[in-house]
Amino acid sequence: MRLNSIGYQFRQGFKNIGRNKMFSIASIATMAVCIFIFGVFSSILLNVDSMVRSLEEQVAITVLFDEGTDEAAHQAIGTQIGALEHVTETTYTSAEEAWEEFKEVYLGNNTELADGFQDNPLANSASFTVKVDEIENQSGVVAQIEQMDGVRQVNQSSKAVENLQDLNRLITAVSAVVVLILLVVSVILISNTINVGISVRKDEIAIMKLIGAKDSFVRAPFIVEGLILGVIGAAIPLIALYFGYGQLMNTLMQRFGFMSIMAGMLPSIQYVFRYVVPVSLMLGIGIGLLGSIITVKRHLKV
Amino acid sequence: MIDLDHVSKVYEKGQRAIDSVTLHVDKGEFVFIVGESGSGKSTLIRLLLKELEPTKGTLTVNGKVLNTLRHRQIPNYRRGVGVVFQDFRLLNDRNVYENVAFAQHVIERPNHEIKRRVPETLKLVGLAEKYRSRPSELSGGEQQRVAVARAIVNKPDILLADEPTGNLDPRNSYDIMKLLEEINNQGTTVLVVTHNRELVDKFNKRVITMKRGVIAHDVEEGGYIEA
Repeated sequence: MRLNSIGYQFRQGFKNIGRNKMFSIASIATMAVCIFIFGVFSSILLNVDSMVRSLEEQVAITVLFDEGTDEAAHQAIGTQIGALEHVTETTYTSAEEAWEEFKEVYLGNNTELADGFQDNPLANSASFTVKVDEIENQSGVVAQIEQMDGVRQVNQSSKAVENLQDLNRLITAVSAVVVLILLVVSVILISNTINVGISVRKDEIAIMKLIGAKDSFVRAPFIVEGLILGVIGAAIPLIALYFGYGQLMNTLMQRFGFMSIMAGMLPSIQYVFRYVVPVSLMLGIGIGLLGSIITVKRHLKV
Repeated sequence: MIDLDHVSKVYEKGQRAIDSVTLHVDKGEFVFIVGESGSGKSTLIRLLLKELEPTKGTLTVNGKVLNTLRHRQIPNYRRGVGVVFQDFRLLNDRNVYENVAFAQHVIERPNHEIKRRVPETLKLVGLAEKYRSRPSELSGGEQQRVAVARAIVNKPDILLADEPTGNLDPRNSYDIMKLLEEINNQGTTVLVVTHNRELVDKFNKRVITMKRGVIAHDVEEGGYIEA
């Protein structure tokens, strides 16, 4: 298709929208609601996800050893742990280091308080800090470490992270269902809008065909119309989300009682948009194209 | 230019619209096709536009055998055939200029060509002054001129006119026919389906008279013969 024909098709597409305003507005509104809900759920998911991730960074597995084992034995166990699947990082803290750290944290400048101890009071506190790739794999790794000889105790992070992940899964499932239903409704509404456009322009289409328009030329304005509806339908909720994001997230998090965990963890709108904008635009364009293409195929015999 | 070889068209209900018609029209000819309603004139036009498929026989237009034309080849074929209807079929939401430019847009001509070609064609049909008017603001004769302009703006080799003066008074009818003659003088083959006896007699062209799907008379420089 020639470049100036593309320009012509776009003008026709815009004119079509103007010609049946009510249907166009209805489709845009439905799509906007659909994409807005998608955006809100995505924002929540990204927020919970970022919470999970920062919690994951703070928590890890701590492995303590049987009394009387020496550092060589600890290192041997460390090598075994490092070889386990899902383990990403192992950090050894010797009894001396543990004691130094304790002194630094709890005694501060009053180092003379420590002089009273002849031996290292934390002689049995050598440990490995183990990090795993994903929180789901933590329990499995813990079970394996507990089986190892020379391991006295394994401490693992709280259940909070796992609960958050359950929540994440729930939100994903609910939003997937809601968005799916709205997607179908949007496609049907767009299809209806395009169909009205086709019936209104029946005579024009007949003339076009007699003059020698190619099928693609006859179809193009309707596809363009769907595309434009899709882009507008995506742009409106994105703009709304951009300005309402902070307020929305704070309200939602407060309602669900996450405020304490969330303090200072709210991902920026830029971070959320990096993911939400392309997906929303693709959704909008996808709905628009799908709605128009199926209609043009069914109702525009050219 | 146009060759029909024993062409028949039987509609689904069994109605025989054209019955084994053989016809030859040379390049540059002006031909009237006359006959009563239901004699097969309009079916002939629709066959030539490849809106209908013949039941039997071969149609050859511009060197192309229409029977074997594939769906995607039809647009290209139709670009060589202009058509004018009794009811004008203009787009009422667009002005005169846009109606004519529409035909050029449809076949994807470049903008600079459209800007040159449309005023040129409007001048030829005598509507250069009214290019901004809407069809509803024009008389019937003027509207048909716009339709003619739209039909010839893409420079077709053949112009088909199906009752072009059916909705016009005698004065406007004569003017439109004069216009078609002028277009014919510039080299376009013109086929005019009409009921208008007076006009046919006045113009002294080849007249093909159809009756019940067959050619009853085919007379060079003839007048209207009652079939």
